[in-house]
Amino acid sequence: MPNPNRQLTDAQIRNSRLVFYKEDIQAIDSTLREFLARSKSRTAMLVDKDGHLITREGDTDMTEMDVDTISALVAGCFAATREMARILGEDEFTALFHQGRKDNLQLTLVGERTILAVLFNESTTIGMVRLYAAEAARKLTSLFRKILSRGESGHGSEKLAEFDKAAASTLDDVFG
Amino acid sequence: MVQINFANKEIQCKVVYYGPGMSGKTTNLEVVHKKAPPAAKGELTSIATEGDRTLFFDFMPLDLGNIAGIKTKFQLYTVPGQVYYNSTRKLVLQGVDGVVFVCDSQAEKIEENIEALENLKTNLKEYGRDIHSIPVILQYNKRDLPTAMTVEELNARLNPMGLTTFEAVASTGEGVFPTLKALASLVLESINRDKTSGGGMASPGGKATVRPAPPSAPRAMPPAPSQQAPAAAAPSAPRAMPKPAGGGGGTTTKVRPAAATRKATRPSPRNAQPAGRPTTTSRPVGRVNIKERKDASSMMLWGVVSAIIIGVGVFLAWKFNILG
Repeated sequence: MPNPNRQLTDAQIRNSRLVFYKEDIQAIDSTLREFLARSKSRTAMLVDKDGHLITREGDTDMTEMDVDTISALVAGCFAATREMARILGEDEFTALFHQGRKDNLQLTLVGERTILAVLFNESTTIGMVRLYAAEAARKLTSLFRKILSRGESGHGSEKLAEFDKAAASTLDDVFG
Repeated sequence: MVQINFANKEIQCKVVYYGPGMSGKTTNLEVVHKKAPPAAKGELTSIATEGDRTLFFDFMPLDLGNIAGIKTKFQLYTVPGQVYYNSTRKLVLQGVDGVVFVCDSQAEKIEENIEALENLKTNLKEYGRDIHSIPVILQYNKRDLPTAMTVEELNARLNPMGLTTFEAVASTGEGVFPTLKALASLVLESINRDKTSGGGMASPGGKATVRPAPPSAPRAMPPAPSQQAPAAAAPSAPRAMPKPAGGGGGTTTKVRPAAATRKATRPSPRNAQPAGRPTTTSRPVGRVNIKERKDASSMMLWGVVSAIIIGVGVFLAWKFNILG
């Protein structure tokens, strides 16, 4: 049985598999929507450090595949920045900013495992985005601690068992 | 690390093509991109140098569709082959779920293969993983080259661990899908086993537990020595993806130039519009060229300008006898 009171070290948080259930995503999405409304940003994407998208909110014309690619590049950006920080003797650079002509991208580290990528335009300012992104990051960090402390609860296990059986035939269909 | 999202009914896995420089990692990805059904693949994005060498990584998302009602996505990465870029190569391994190690079969490349394999082990160790704790497959590429070592020789030098191996000629597409299929199968199998993952699946404990590739993956080779005709890969025709050209058995007679000259003479498929791409989109295959030599050129220019200014100064000083 999952233990909600289990305390995790930072290393355990970094190395645990991320598993999200409906209520987790609802809570994260709600935090992202609140952030978007307050900061007047266009889009918020939450990406894990391995480059997988967790969830996104807001207005975007990106296709799903584009979002996957952006997620991988966001994680790559942050990984490179982290390595620079290490060499320079910093623990981590916790925010990155990419300025464009119309749209800008602000990346904020959320806890140990995830990155908040925010797309915004001239309807707001970098200061507003940073202020509210830091606030959202604190809320999301707390949420992730709860999610990771809970671990994998039983109600997904049966689905994964079926998944295992079905995987081989799907691979035959896709790869021949 | 596999991410499981029960809210969206989605699983995401990360696969990395690793290996020495010019072994064919990017070519593998290009073949997958070219042959994969348009709806299943995303853009192939490369972060490469002006000289077409991978600087950070190549990336392409691959959607396998629904498996038991769960949307399954693979993210395929390659790493830079050059030792010089090891810092970025290591970063790509973060959270990896499976590795295809692409070996160059040529005899003169054996030391580079060994060095890259050792480098993989070292870099995995930095993330608390090892080559036995995640699915790893060796792909013996460039089987069509005259200097290619035999599979037995390659196994003896590179594969004492008894990993599953595949032969391939990635430039023609042979062996590319069977390799990826076998790895995808191992990764998906590991999802259930790895439930309480604290850094990878339980260590299988060496040779005895290395699973052979699925029966329909034709070139899975057990580590036991057995003479096999090279480049006879991919006899089974994929249903959804077109069969790679040149597959179907027999020795490939095409001889590519030696590695040193190959780069200059081979076609540049990275820059070509892949045949499998939808033609309705005008967006080119994403590619970020980093102009790494720009700074060096600027420095040289400034050096020449400085020398001219100093020369003129000395001449004027002499002319007007300023120096006495």
